[in-house]
Amino acid sequence: MKILVCIKQVPDMESKFKVAAEGTWYDNQDLAWRMNEYDEYAVEQAVRLKEQVGDADLTVLSIGSDKVKETMKKALAMGCDRGAHIADDAAWNKEPFQVAGIIAEYARDKGFDVIFTGMQSQDRGSGQVGVLVAEMLELPSVSTIVDFGYEAGTIIAKRELEGGIKAKVKVQAPAVVTCQLGLNTPRYPTLPNIMKAKKKELLSIPVAELLKVNARMETANMFFPEKKGGGLVLEGEAGELADRLISILKDKTTVLK
Amino acid sequence: MTQLPKGGGYLLGSTDPKNIFTPEDFNDEHRMIAETLSRFLEERIFPRMEEMDAKQEGLMREFLVEAGELGLLGADIPEEYGGSEIDEIFSTIIAEKLGATGAFAIGHGGHCGIGNLPIVYFGNEDQKSRYLPNIATAEKISAYALTEPGSGSDALSAKTKAVLSPDGKHYILNGDKTFISNAGIADMFIVYAKIDGEKFSAFIVDAHTDGLTTGAEEKKMGLKGSSTRSVFFDNVKVPVENLLYKPGKGHVVAFNILNIGRHKAAANSVGAAKYALDLSATYANERKQFKVPIAQFGMIKEKLAEMATRIYAAESTVYRTGGLLTEMINTLDPSGPDGYKVIAEGIEEYAVECSLEKVFATEMEAFVVDEGVQIHGGYGYIAEYPIERLYRDARIRRIFEGTNEINRIIIPTTLFRRAARGGFPLKDAMKELKVYLNGETVARENPGDVVQAIKDVFLFVMGVSYERYGDEILKQQEILGRLADLAIQAYTTESTWLRTQKTAAANGQNAKLKTNMATAFIYTTVEKTSLAAREIIATLVTGSELVNMQSDLNKLLNYTPIDIISLRQKIAGAISAAGKYVS
Repeated sequence: MKILVCIKQVPDMESKFKVAAEGTWYDNQDLAWRMNEYDEYAVEQAVRLKEQVGDADLTVLSIGSDKVKETMKKALAMGCDRGAHIADDAAWNKEPFQVAGIIAEYARDKGFDVIFTGMQSQDRGSGQVGVLVAEMLELPSVSTIVDFGYEAGTIIAKRELEGGIKAKVKVQAPAVVTCQLGLNTPRYPTLPNIMKAKKKELLSIPVAELLKVNARMETANMFFPEKKGGGLVLEGEAGELADRLISILKDKTTVLK
Repeated sequence: MTQLPKGGGYLLGSTDPKNIFTPEDFNDEHRMIAETLSRFLEERIFPRMEEMDAKQEGLMREFLVEAGELGLLGADIPEEYGGSEIDEIFSTIIAEKLGATGAFAIGHGGHCGIGNLPIVYFGNEDQKSRYLPNIATAEKISAYALTEPGSGSDALSAKTKAVLSPDGKHYILNGDKTFISNAGIADMFIVYAKIDGEKFSAFIVDAHTDGLTTGAEEKKMGLKGSSTRSVFFDNVKVPVENLLYKPGKGHVVAFNILNIGRHKAAANSVGAAKYALDLSATYANERKQFKVPIAQFGMIKEKLAEMATRIYAAESTVYRTGGLLTEMINTLDPSGPDGYKVIAEGIEEYAVECSLEKVFATEMEAFVVDEGVQIHGGYGYIAEYPIERLYRDARIRRIFEGTNEINRIIIPTTLFRRAARGGFPLKDAMKELKVYLNGETVARENPGDVVQAIKDVFLFVMGVSYERYGDEILKQQEILGRLADLAIQAYTTESTWLRTQKTAAANGQNAKLKTNMATAFIYTTVEKTSLAAREIIATLVTGSELVNMQSDLNKLLNYTPIDIISLRQKIAGAISAAGKYVS
């Protein structure tokens, strides 16, 4: 069995973001980087599938500068067998159709039985890449899965719908699934596995060899929403609060005259 | 790094920032294990700290087994015996992260630090293959038994005795050990005893041997979740093949392990202090008085800034030392017949650095947890707030792994002894300084210059002390203590400045904040240098000689003060914005 899991390196979401000078993406100075949360679920599920079937080869793919190799090594330490690093210093500037195009081009002749992706990236959040890859490869896809089972070539996945309803979906491999929060609890890479990961194959492929589609959209502008007059929190004794509220309503609104 | 620097060599000449290890030099694997540790602590350990401190039966063993599954017990154990045998930086990261876990850090350190390293470094093949794989998985929990009721700092005066049995197959041990971490849960002990009451030696003792018993749990100020008991030996039979290294060479084992133990204790302090600052910075952002978060008040800002600055200094120092230990261990070749001696001498090389960092980092931690309680106000005194635990847990670190007083004695004493053997060219350095002082002296214009001033003052005062007292200086504890402080100030300011320069040169993360912290640290430290140096001089000489030396010190310390207050406001701004320690 051949499995592919696609991951993205994203900034820690607790970072203080600034819009970069060119105005179409965030400034990547002084940020801490980690694996996209949804991709962690994807890696964990891919490793579990490999452990279940035994005879499987699991490739982790990521697009970006050399820096993304750090995150790929984490996936290798979690149990992936080999890494395919698509070297692209301008990965941040690729829109979802291009990203999917690169992945599909890589995966096309390799005969992957299951392709895992996160349901979206935490920084761009388009939610398109996984399903676009499936379309490009003419494969079925199941999005936002919260449960995954595999038996004799059939994937049985649960999807989470609005209002707490779940749907059970059956699909024949080969297929693409995109992973949602709640699917699993990703394992910690252990120290021995971290050291073993150093010896695993991690090949770099120039993005030019795989990018065969054109962008369909461009980001015109990235910005923080304009700050509207923020809320006002009053603190103190109830009686005093009531007096202050009345005076604000009188002074600043037409509710009280 | 190119060539291995000599222990204490930082005091002479200058070091290229490229040649020191800094946390910015972590590789992917180092960062990954740090992340694994953070998650392990947040998800497993911190939520159960209260249960652990209530000594819930079996919890420490459960956590040690889990740590073993993550590979956190085998960092110092060779691969062939079930460990990962990785560089000392990994061990330093593990010790740092675990530092915040109080009792668990002690359980971990007692087990796979001091309870393990004597076998790793001084055990023979048979001993290693019998014990190390079980330590790596916590199948057997280890403990280190050196201290006795009557011998603490004076470890070699131990009374525990070992006598060879008539058939020559066993040593029979009799005596008491006290304050032994992990004693209540240990399956094995590293025990020091004197063969025939004379030859101080180390043994591996099975905890379940007849005649070995432990006392009641000690009721401690802090680290309540770790087991601390006395251990009693009543005709305990230890197979002769469990003697570690050689008869009469127990001190070589004990003292060299303590050097590494000191390095790990320093790393523990850094981790605990970071956690204390994280809690305090978060609290200061949330707690409002006079309708403003207290983080906006000047005096609180100053506390946050000084806490961060000292942590940055200790972190820089600890990882520089970790880098030295790594390089040293990498260059050792223990394969020859004298392999153990090679290792012992290798570790011994950086004894001064290990003592320096232990004293500085543990006292830094004491300051940080104390100010942390202060920032929390009355809530800091309530056990529900983790800062209260950190405050209590911190206290022992200035006492164990060699009291800070003993470590202060070790620093100048080692340097004086090396000077006497020609290993530390004090006289030449003194000559050079005198030439400098008699010529045109320069003003110290930047933090790097001020670091040089601190190093010069140390050498000058050390030289003068020796001229005055000769070998008798080794009996003048008040002077030795101050010399130690000067050496610590030199090492910590230099480590901090070199790291900052290295980061700036690489256009690394938070370079501006690092420069601010390093500058604040160096300019506040040099005032302490000045005080300690003047106190030494004033006790050594009088009259015109004192006036002259005072003038020499003034020349060495010729710098213009900087605006520390505004610097600290900037540092505090960065800490409050992040709500935690950043560097």
